[in-house]
Amino acid sequence: MLMLHKFSIRSIILLLALLVIVTLSLSLGFGVAELGHREVWQCLTATCEKSIYNTILWQIRLPRVLLGFIAGFGLAIAGALMQNVTRNPLADPYLFGIVAGAGLGATLTNFLPPSLQFFTLPLAAFLGALFAVFIVLMVLIKNNWRRTEHLLLAGVAVSFLFSSVTSFILYMGDAFSTNRVIFWLMGSLARADQTALMWIFPVVFIATIVALLLSRQLDSLLLSDESARTLGVSVEKLRIGTLVICAALTAVIVAYCGGIGFVGLMIPHIVRPFVGLTTARILLGAGLVGGCFLVWVDVVARTALDGQEIPIGVITSAMGSVFFLLLMRKM
Amino acid sequence: MFNHVSKEKVLQAKALTWQVDNTTIIDHVDFSILAGETVAIVGPNGAGKTSLLKCLYGEYKDHHSTVLLNGQPLSILSSKQIAQKIAVVSQHAESVFNLTVLDIVRMGLIPHKGLFDVDTKADHIKISQALNKVDLWEKQRQYFNTLSGGEQQRVLIARAIVQSPDLLIMDEPTNHLDIYYQHQILALAKQLKITLILTIHDLNLAAQYCDRIVLLNKGKVLADDSPEKVLKASLLKQVFKLDCHVDIHPFTQTPRVTFDGSQLNLEKPIEKEVEYNANAS
Repeated sequence: MLMLHKFSIRSIILLLALLVIVTLSLSLGFGVAELGHREVWQCLTATCEKSIYNTILWQIRLPRVLLGFIAGFGLAIAGALMQNVTRNPLADPYLFGIVAGAGLGATLTNFLPPSLQFFTLPLAAFLGALFAVFIVLMVLIKNNWRRTEHLLLAGVAVSFLFSSVTSFILYMGDAFSTNRVIFWLMGSLARADQTALMWIFPVVFIATIVALLLSRQLDSLLLSDESARTLGVSVEKLRIGTLVICAALTAVIVAYCGGIGFVGLMIPHIVRPFVGLTTARILLGAGLVGGCFLVWVDVVARTALDGQEIPIGVITSAMGSVFFLLLMRKM
Repeated sequence: MFNHVSKEKVLQAKALTWQVDNTTIIDHVDFSILAGETVAIVGPNGAGKTSLLKCLYGEYKDHHSTVLLNGQPLSILSSKQIAQKIAVVSQHAESVFNLTVLDIVRMGLIPHKGLFDVDTKADHIKISQALNKVDLWEKQRQYFNTLSGGEQQRVLIARAIVQSPDLLIMDEPTNHLDIYYQHQILALAKQLKITLILTIHDLNLAAQYCDRIVLLNKGKVLADDSPEKVLKASLLKQVFKLDCHVDIHPFTQTPRVTFDGSQLNLEKPIEKEVEYNANAS
């Protein structure tokens, strides 16, 4: 019998489903308020002991856990897709300059007159991120995609450019608004509410479906561009389309959650040995594991220090950069 | 010797020309191949062999002449339609990712699948048969990068089998292979009983395995005929700039060419010819 990989797709799905269920239910029991696993279980199965628990569970804990899961899912599949279409295992959606672009957008909101208040921080961050991606893609189209490594180099250059502008503005500005932007850049799921979910979920959902439909074509890029072309795949269109999807995914997540780095880089590498690297499998594997990962990191961020949250981006960046160095050593 | 070949032209090009920056790489080449034929394109480095192949399978597009695939111009066909009819086994770059043999062979389904199509039982049978045909069934889950050069070629041939084309194009399939594997790959390709175009440096292999040889030099066709008629000492000396002797191979009864490098004058500067590569930066 043909066996595509060491582990059958059924056993992988079963295992991942279990991980997701355990993660989502257990993580609800962690937090500052005295609402432990026992109380959560009671709320879910019967009625809550105190009515305040009801509010905390459904309006604070659940949106936050869901946001963590969906954001982690989105960042991980964006990383997996980027690594596959650029054939570069070090590709990461953040290397587009997305965070720097979002940072600049967020900074500029400090200077908006009251009449332009509809430019909320998330919207401005989203536009800033898209602007950064636009510059990177323009440079690449102009040089004809000769080498996909140029994507990473252009992304790094744009990052530095935007960061320096942001730093200058923040340096000249007042301390209060500077703090606001800097804390936002460190990443947090504290902004979790229905609006955030309403924006992020559809984007992640649609991106996943589109990528799954294109999975066969995306797989063809894994060997070489030339080989993909001889299989009838429009390589340039497919690659740029996928990168735009990754950019939109990351931009909308960064807009609400700030800079949560390295999830997109790290998670695909962790799941690849188990699920293989073809697109459909890595999307499901990286997405579900990435979602669970971010939920647990957020649990740590909420509970590790007494009376204070650690910015989630600080934790993921610390873990991610160590992981990155270990990865480089093996390559 | 063409009696097993039916008369239908699978691919046909008239006055095919390909220029890059006003340099003519392919110069008014007439080419056609009949169903079931095996044709070798031979010539020195820089003769334009690979460029000619790329024109024939539509990778290079903006030449002014027309290439007809089953009577239809390539220019009106989508790349997917072309891929359903032509499979290419080219000199590949190694992937940084660990693709398995099966991952690659399965890619052969791509031209035949729409967005919503999943792999069917028939597809799995097709993949299994292809793996068996190239004798890689046991290695289906091994990583492509860990295989030997001959095995990698066979993986790509299996992918081409799954692609089930009318025409198979192979760019230097025997490159970097030892003598056993060179014969194995060519015998395997012949055994598929498919219309086949390949480029090759070894003239004796071309004579043994091909119905026809196209001798290419500086983008022009110097000869296009059966091995017996193309492999003439005077013509080969003119193209390859080496003395040679042609006789008949005692086992295969095909022409056998022996080149003699002892008269080579290395003091004289060697004429530089660089093959054009569109992907180089």
